[in-house]
Amino acid sequence: MIQLNDICKSFKETEVLRSLNLNVKKGEMFVLLGSSGCGKTTTLSIIAGLIREDRGDIYVDGSRINDVPPHKRGIGFVFQNYALFPHLNVYENVEFSLKARHKQKNNRNEVKRALELVGLDGFDNKNPMKLSGGEQQRVALARALVTEPECILMDEPLSNLDAMVRERLRYEMKQLQKDVGLTTIYVTHDQVEAMMLGDRIAVLNNGQTEEVGTPEKIFYKPQREFVARFIGMKNIFNGKITTLDEEGGVMQISTENFELTTVLIPSGEGTHVKACVRPEEIILMKSDQKTSARNEIAGRIITIFPNGPLMRVLVDVGGDEISVDITRLATRDLELKKGDKVILKFKATSVHVIM
Amino acid sequence: MFEQRFHFMHQNSFFHILISLIAGIYFGFIAAIIACLLTETSLGEFIDNIKSPEILSSIIISLETSIAVVILALIFGIPVAYLLATRRFTGRIILDTLIDLPIISPPLVCGLAILIAFGGHGLFSHFDVIFTIKGIIIAQLFVASPFLIRSARIAFESIDQDILTAARTLGASEFYTFRKVSLPLARNGIISGIIMTWARALGEFGATAMVAGCIPYKTETMTIGIYMHALSGNLDASVALSLLLIVSAFATLIVFKYLGRYNDPIK
Ligand SMILES: Nc1ncnc2c1ncn2[C@@H]1O[C@H](COP(=O)(O)OP(=O)(O)OP(=O)(O)O)[C@@H](O)[C@H]1O
Ligand SMILES: [Mg+2]
Repeated sequence: MIQLNDICKSFKETEVLRSLNLNVKKGEMFVLLGSSGCGKTTTLSIIAGLIREDRGDIYVDGSRINDVPPHKRGIGFVFQNYALFPHLNVYENVEFSLKARHKQKNNRNEVKRALELVGLDGFDNKNPMKLSGGEQQRVALARALVTEPECILMDEPLSNLDAMVRERLRYEMKQLQKDVGLTTIYVTHDQVEAMMLGDRIAVLNNGQTEEVGTPEKIFYKPQREFVARFIGMKNIFNGKITTLDEEGGVMQISTENFELTTVLIPSGEGTHVKACVRPEEIILMKSDQKTSARNEIAGRIITIFPNGPLMRVLVDVGGDEISVDITRLATRDLELKKGDKVILKFKATSVHVIM
Repeated sequence: MFEQRFHFMHQNSFFHILISLIAGIYFGFIAAIIACLLTETSLGEFIDNIKSPEILSSIIISLETSIAVVILALIFGIPVAYLLATRRFTGRIILDTLIDLPIISPPLVCGLAILIAFGGHGLFSHFDVIFTIKGIIIAQLFVASPFLIRSARIAFESIDQDILTAARTLGASEFYTFRKVSLPLARNGIISGIIMTWARALGEFGATAMVAGCIPYKTETMTIGIYMHALSGNLDASVALSLLLIVSAFATLIVFKYLGRYNDPIK
């Protein structure tokens, strides 16, 4: 549906996009995830025709649209700061694109339908500047949807809202997008948002797509070290495959300071790999207890600090550091403190291997 | 007496008393001068003076020319302001400076330049402009239109770029966006520019006198009339014209401030 081939863009000296490729399918919610300043807004602006690319091609439904001006591309855009027209009321804001496209007749029904879609019926005569942030973003959404565009681009549309409103609107937007079957490119730097909304996610880095995949794949089985770090896999170790146990379905990886047992993947002995373990997959105990976990590493606590609702424990394992997330209650029950000797255990299936 | 914007400003502080005092002196000075003008004449005298044919004629000439100037300034000034606000091109700074030049230069110098351009061997000498109404309009336009351009340009520049971008993604061409978004949002700036240009045109003296001379019933505007009557000893006529100018200026400003405060689309 939307395809970007080798898009390059520089502002003065800074190269923002270096040969970016994307392929968005019809009807899907495609999330662009990346850190601040990595070129997400620039990418959307190029798709919408607001910025001219230096090199590369943009296709919509197979036709090249590089030279089509923004108002003829039929691509909706929802801005982070809503960008509503302050001199028009809610109804007129939504009606704007119908008038601009000279569709004079039947405006009333289309505007009403769009406002109903976002749950704003009855707001017609309100001044948009006097609405709450969430309501303003709904107006912006209705305004972009009223002409039933082929696809819609959203640039961090929820980032200026408080957590409660953001959560509700996020859910509603996902429902609406599914119901309408709207092709959407959604930009965010929020992993949770990407995870909840995306049918597929592209992680951007250094002006390129680092990896594209389903949320499941990106968050649990990333194929790139950058993505693994970006989504918070704290524990990533360089290692080498030492033994393959075809019958047991496992293999051994040797890192500088410890040995790991992981699920067998097609590879050869001696291959250099990266082994990743999520902090919340690790069990921490003070004395050795029997578990079914195949991996066991002894270490000493370096520090303990709050990490959201959990506590993060940094453990020194002979030169390497391993992060473990445990509940607040568990830290208290185990009476954990700096310098304590502990044993870390985790299953073979908890180790994710990046080739 | 004072309504404070912030609670941490205290009415009894030394600073508050100081600034109030200075403002009071300044206000008193201005008001006293205007009061002197007001008390120079009585209402009957004022009306008699205004009704004289020469003065009526100068009022009509002033109104005609200043309104023509405002219309011409709009036709040329809005596109120029929009261009300066939205485009980056080489020579932009030079164009920008050139537009501001008449605001800074003495009107006499502007008048002289026009006189040379349109007179004797000038570039535009085949236009019959010197000592005519057309000359007045050109002189006033030259001096007064920069006010409109400046004000409109600042208004265009202060529109949130995302709003204009949004209009484009909603299917509006640049021209449609200009008409339906930029112009309405720049409205207050444009209106204040119109008022400043109109007031400047009405009050124009130096350049006008230079280009159009002071021919009664032909090129005598109100300001030129004030000067001529004062010179010839007919001070009452000068005072009447001055009062008319000051009162209309006062009324216009009040109306504008009122409109500006209550119709601000943003607030
Ligand atoms: N018009 C411009 N002129 C110069 N540099 C620009 C321009 N627009 C963007 N940049 C630069 O390009 C880089 C990418 O900007 P962009 O806005 O695309 O990032 P982003 O991924 O949207 O970031 P954020 O998450 O903060 O919105 C930034 O370093 C920015 O400074
Ligand atoms: Mg951005």
